[in-house]
Amino acid sequence: MSVAYREGIPALEQVHDEGGRSLGWWGMMFFIASEALIFANLIAAYLYLEIRQGGHGWHLPSEIWYPLINTVILLGSSAPIHYIAAKGIEKGSQQRLIWGLLATIVMGAIFLGGQVYEYSSLISEGFTPQSQLFGSAFFTLTGFHGLHVTVGLIFLLIVFVRALNGHFTKERHFAFQAGEMYWHFVDVVWIFVFSIVYLLPLLRG
Amino acid sequence: MATSTIVERPALVRQKRFSETYIGQWLTTTDHKKIGIMYMVTAFFFFVVGGLEALLIRTQLALPDGKVLDPQTYNEIFTMHGTTMIFLFVMPMFTGLGNYVVPLMIGARDMAFPRLNAFGYWIVLFGGLFLQSSFLFHAAPDGGWFAYAPLTECGVQGVNCIPATPSINMDFWALGVLLLGISSVAGALNFVVTIFKLRAPGMTINRMPLFVWMTLVTSFLLLFALPSLTAASGLLLLDRHLGTHFYQAAFNGDPLLWQHLFWSFGHPEVYILILPAFGIVSEVLPVFSRKPIFGYTFVAWSGVAIGFLSFTVWAHHMFAVGLPVVAQAFFATSTTLIAIPTAVKIFNWLATIYGGKLSFKTPMLFALGFVAMFLIGGLNGVALAIVPFDYQVTDSYFVIAHLHYVLFGGAVFAIFAAIFYWFPKMTGKLLNERLGQIQFWLMLIGVNVTFFPMHILGLLGMPRRIYTYAPDLGWNELNLLETVGAFIIAAAILVFLFNFVASLRQGQPAGGDPWDAFTLEWDTTSPPEPYNFKTIPVVRSRRPFYDKKNPETADWKVAVH
Repeated sequence: MSVAYREGIPALEQVHDEGGRSLGWWGMMFFIASEALIFANLIAAYLYLEIRQGGHGWHLPSEIWYPLINTVILLGSSAPIHYIAAKGIEKGSQQRLIWGLLATIVMGAIFLGGQVYEYSSLISEGFTPQSQLFGSAFFTLTGFHGLHVTVGLIFLLIVFVRALNGHFTKERHFAFQAGEMYWHFVDVVWIFVFSIVYLLPLLRG
Repeated sequence: MATSTIVERPALVRQKRFSETYIGQWLTTTDHKKIGIMYMVTAFFFFVVGGLEALLIRTQLALPDGKVLDPQTYNEIFTMHGTTMIFLFVMPMFTGLGNYVVPLMIGARDMAFPRLNAFGYWIVLFGGLFLQSSFLFHAAPDGGWFAYAPLTECGVQGVNCIPATPSINMDFWALGVLLLGISSVAGALNFVVTIFKLRAPGMTINRMPLFVWMTLVTSFLLLFALPSLTAASGLLLLDRHLGTHFYQAAFNGDPLLWQHLFWSFGHPEVYILILPAFGIVSEVLPVFSRKPIFGYTFVAWSGVAIGFLSFTVWAHHMFAVGLPVVAQAFFATSTTLIAIPTAVKIFNWLATIYGGKLSFKTPMLFALGFVAMFLIGGLNGVALAIVPFDYQVTDSYFVIAHLHYVLFGGAVFAIFAAIFYWFPKMTGKLLNERLGQIQFWLMLIGVNVTFFPMHILGLLGMPRRIYTYAPDLGWNELNLLETVGAFIIAAAILVFLFNFVASLRQGQPAGGDPWDAFTLEWDTTSPPEPYNFKTIPVVRSRRPFYDKKNPETADWKVAVH
């Protein structure tokens, strides 16, 4: 049959590697992979429609500076949760966990508020999901990301309340870890969404 | 001085907790075996629902100018037949089987995430009831199981409603499949982590039973294909309710976007429905041939190859929409390519049976029936991959014949092989062999009488999804024949239901190992204790239980092949 059989009695290897990642980490990774593919599909749909229309009219009526600042805030929000909160709880520091989480939550909320402001100014200029195909595609893609930011914020808020109640220890803090993974995912996805929605029209000129 | 008296203490009668009652044990369970059984019973219930819908369709089409169903009801019935059979029968049935069998096969005590597992089950149940409840509101989905936009674009808001009347029928469909998708993703990631991380010592990837292999591949397909359906039906809901323009040509949108998104889910989905069946057959054939599977490595990796290829073939569902010639050539090629790993499997199964000591028990009969029926479905599938031929028969009954040979002759036969094979493990009792044989022959005859004439009807030009037809088209006799076949299948299912109830009540006790089987799930009691194994087994070969029973001819002593 297999090579292993012909070479004699196989070794009784231990499959459970104790030092490896936890089950929850793997579960979260596959969940995020599946979520990422929803974004991939939406981005594919966006580009498909954009290319079929030759890119005509696929640029926003507003300036890019505002979303750019927002982007910096969102991407920056991945820093405190990792460098302050995660590194802190790994050493057992409750203070660093709480402050790191708080900083990230505040930055995430600013991003979300910025998105709401951007939407309202676009809609007041008559650019809506119904006004044209680009509007449909723009609001769907960025809105779906905004939905993920919202879910991520709720996730982190629950973790934050639990952190205030001292639920996490140096050894046991998977809920926090899962929240951090999800938040990084939401940030990384934004790089793709931002590049396609805001930067691509600049390239096209 | 106090005399010592015996103080009568009130007897410790503790109120039974809900989770300790019989009903509560099932409702609150996180045991993979109980969840597996609940999945399977639920799936079978929906199989009966979908089957009754099929009988309605066949009754309507038995004679020309049929008057049983009006056109709108007919649309609803065929839509719900497809949706029910795919999302509420075959998928949960395989999830249930995998739930029950996979942890036992790899020597684990449970799935990696038992509570997520229970969550997945309850979503399937309520998602399914949600979909079926649409009948109560006279609003059952009516756009076909693939819900082509722009036909499905007309929502209650009245936006995008020219000329159809607004309705909520397709909202039931879109929300229903979104719900079921959540359940499937939860189940799939649970299987992947379980199979990667919870195998018993010595159970290397290359020693996993083939059913575990196929469940693993299927789970990856679910994780990576379902997002397309989620995106597609999400955009459909936005079009219907928010007035966006994704699928509307009038606003520069594109109806073909729906087809691309849907089929890039839909074709991997076909393999989600058939790969676990491959796994079942690869377990059953060796046991009833008294031989190890022939070419284990090829059977396993051809499954992986099919998994990869399944993401490259979606547009063969769209040959008739006017794709560029290059795209047609690409998708025709990739579709024919997929026949290679599939044929590898067929030949390996034949080589497994060849020279074996065959015993034609019911599971074996269904497994052999699977190979034969699936082969027919595979061959007419290759025919459909040929673009000019597809032009002729697309959206005709030829396609219906193909998909039913694959899904009924294929998946359903494998499901019955699995039920007859593992029922003793789950209940400790054997299903009645005689009734099983009767059911098998009825089903084999019924399937061919129902679905074979559809090839001819397709070539004669009968389109799918028509609710009736004129008497002078030359389709009458074959349609009547198909209806007779459908009722033969129904009779077979009735025999099974009787067998199931009777054997559950007074079936022959099975013992731990009624089939002299090879794999670990039989190396424990039937049914197993909640913890599965008293001690976690140590695995040294691909047939750990067989080798434990026959140490002098164990696989690690005798080189086979």
